[in-house]
Amino acid sequence: MKKFVAIILAVVLCLSVCACGAKEASVPVIGICQYGEHGSLDNCREGFIQGLKDAGLVEGTDFVIDYQNASFDDNINNQIAQSFAAKDVALMCAIATPSAVVCYAAAEEKDIPVIYTAISDPEQAKLTSGNITGTSDKLPVDAQLELIRAIQPDAKTIGIVYTTSEANSISTIAEYKDKAPNYGFTIEAIGVTAGAEVTQAVDTLISKKVDCLNNLTDNNVVGVLSSVLEKTNAAGIPVYGSEIEQVKLGCVASAGIDYVELGKMTGEMAAKILKGEATADSMPYKSVTDFSYYVNSAALNEMGLTLPSSIADTAIEAN
Amino acid sequence: MLDMIIGTVTQGLIYALLSYGIYITYKILDFPDLTVDGSFPLGAAVTAVFLVKGFDPYLTLLIAMAAGALAGLATGLIHVRLKVRDLLAGIITMTALFSINLQIGGSNLSVERGIDTIFTAPPTMLLFGSMPLMYRKLIVAFILALIFKLLLDAYLKTKSGMLLRAVGDNSALVTSLAKDNGRVKILGLVLANALVALAGAIVCQEQRSFSATMGTGQMIFGLATVIIGTTLFRKLDFVKGTTAVVIGSILYKACIQIAIIAGLPANLLKLVTAVLFLIILVLGGMKGKVKQSA
Amino acid sequence: MLELKNITKTYNPGTVTEMCLFKDFELSVKDGEFVSVVGSNGSGKTSMLNIICGSIPIDSGDCLIGGESINKQKDFVRYKKIGRVYQNPSMGTCPNMTILENLSLADNKGKHFGLGKGVSKKRIDDYKAMLSTLGLGLEDKLNVKMGSLSGGQRQAVALLMATMTPLDFLILDEHTAALDPHTADIIMELTDKIVREKKLTAIMVTHNLRYAVEYGSRLIMMDKGHIVLDVDGEKKKNTKVEDILDLFTSISIECGN
Repeated sequence: MKKFVAIILAVVLCLSVCACGAKEASVPVIGICQYGEHGSLDNCREGFIQGLKDAGLVEGTDFVIDYQNASFDDNINNQIAQSFAAKDVALMCAIATPSAVVCYAAAEEKDIPVIYTAISDPEQAKLTSGNITGTSDKLPVDAQLELIRAIQPDAKTIGIVYTTSEANSISTIAEYKDKAPNYGFTIEAIGVTAGAEVTQAVDTLISKKVDCLNNLTDNNVVGVLSSVLEKTNAAGIPVYGSEIEQVKLGCVASAGIDYVELGKMTGEMAAKILKGEATADSMPYKSVTDFSYYVNSAALNEMGLTLPSSIADTAIEAN
Repeated sequence: MLDMIIGTVTQGLIYALLSYGIYITYKILDFPDLTVDGSFPLGAAVTAVFLVKGFDPYLTLLIAMAAGALAGLATGLIHVRLKVRDLLAGIITMTALFSINLQIGGSNLSVERGIDTIFTAPPTMLLFGSMPLMYRKLIVAFILALIFKLLLDAYLKTKSGMLLRAVGDNSALVTSLAKDNGRVKILGLVLANALVALAGAIVCQEQRSFSATMGTGQMIFGLATVIIGTTLFRKLDFVKGTTAVVIGSILYKACIQIAIIAGLPANLLKLVTAVLFLIILVLGGMKGKVKQSA
Repeated sequence: MLELKNITKTYNPGTVTEMCLFKDFELSVKDGEFVSVVGSNGSGKTSMLNIICGSIPIDSGDCLIGGESINKQKDFVRYKKIGRVYQNPSMGTCPNMTILENLSLADNKGKHFGLGKGVSKKRIDDYKAMLSTLGLGLEDKLNVKMGSLSGGQRQAVALLMATMTPLDFLILDEHTAALDPHTADIIMELTDKIVREKKLTAIMVTHNLRYAVEYGSRLIMMDKGHIVLDVDGEKKKNTKVEDILDLFTSISIECGN
């Protein structure tokens, strides 16, 4: 017991010695904790920094960025949040739900404001009260269903693969099931637990003769999107994406939000907090209501589909 | 900077409880128990649900331990009674637990700031209420790590504990002592997974959330801490295995922290961890064979 | 009283490697007998021990102790009344535990392994007395790990451990075979002493014909699952190594050894 205490103390001492000499920054530090490497999340981050600059802040003099990526590892994710709290950052920016949750917990002690982005359902994640705010990337489900109906007037079933452990996917799938009948669709959803199961789920959906596939912002599905597209192209089934990055990869179209814009909006909110114009406590979270149609004409042609003129006018070609 | 050290040591102490569990299965029972990746989030899921329902945070720790014990029991029964190989028995339980955890806690569950945890509930506040939360976390984690270390040390010296050690050392002897070594193995798995679930419960209270994926890689983490600890202190007989494991846990967390400070990308971090792990294993293996062979 | 009745055991039944080891094998050992068993490799000596201990199942027949069948008892249940010393010295002890811990474990055999103290301080003097009878100086090494002892030392402790609690049978499975001749002699002397002092019923399988002749009250020679020689009492006392060596050579030649 004595030895145990002694050894623990020794370790603490050693670490303190190692830690000496680290310099403290006088410029406010913004700790960005991004849950993983992902096109949309990267866009959010870039938009966020852009948003800060747009609000008149200068990187280096008004703020510095400490960016950390957790590679979808919950342990590292938590430790990044802890280290931000320990470093006394001025503000934490959490990208994606798991990061927001741990940042908020780590920020409790020092009451560091947390600003999040790319969260589908802040209510469900209980991130709506306290010194925290941000932006939601709730998908424009109605617009997406409208889009599918416009491109495929005869389609009946939409297949969706989602991860049962991703909070965003679960809340979105519920919304799809709820709204699909309004547009005359039925949803054929298959839940998976890992990226490796996605292509199998796609095979199942193809064998069930769904009319098209629709993606969420599900990390596991997006992670293997290329191999999903190989299968669906062979089967002649169009795949609709949920944001521009997926359309670039070969999905036919998407009614999606612009993650760079979402990031910018978040950055502007953060700037208000840094300038002292508002607190995270007082600002409610925002969601983007604007969305754009993104299309991939090559993919549409390959599927033998044409874009109705009502959509073609405003659609943005993603290539 | 001091804050960062306190944070790291706190993390290390909390995860030490997980390492105790793996110390029992890997070091004492010689059983590669993959149940851990499922029983750790199980502890967290159960804790999150009961905290949200307004249960006493200390009580939730016991409930989580009971849940973990059941998970260990499942692996034990699958291995001993159904004669499934040790590794596979753990994988089966772990896989089942993934679904069970989703049923219990959903994909993620947050515990709001208004809800008391073991770090903010009355007994803790009464004793250490004047301290900032960060120090309270350190102290509570330290006390828990110490209590369970002492309990485990004491247990390993009892008749039952010695039998547990004997099973991993020479199961034939346990049979000739007229004891069913299957039952002893099950007991070991029950204890180990109760401790792992306890670690999950404390982590859940500390980060105020449960997520279904939080168990991924915990087995590897625990294994690394046990091996780092026991390899470092191999030559020092006065350092108990449990103490060595606590140090291993803190050191491992410190390594990750240093890598984060150094700005090493997380994906590279895992490679570095793997290499470190390999080096320690190889070094440990070379020195470790001295007394084993007859 | 141990009785094996009509024991039949076939290895790998229904395959090309099928081998019938025992067919209607019979053996009875009276209480207080010390039986030495010799025989060539594959004659079924060790299989017989494993059948008694329940380590391998039998196809048919009966295994009785004191007139009661133990066929349905699992191995660890049978060991309540059986002590066993193995050929491999590391089988009888725990290498990563100390001599004291090993002896304490054996001392508690047959009792409940609960949350009481694993090592009883009161018994330490008794343990030291037991160890000093070995004459190996182990009484001063109570806290030394078993794994750091020599094979002979380990086997001596294993023998102590196997006979520490009351037993129906002591099973000695070529327990001197892995030791050098000098150490083997010491262990054999010690075995004889313990069996006499505790008035144990013992079955000893050995390849050492001299031990088989010199020690024990009954001598059995086995060949291909049959008993080819069974002597006891005065007859056993008059049996010489040369006598059984001739018989042993003749059966070994038959085997093609």
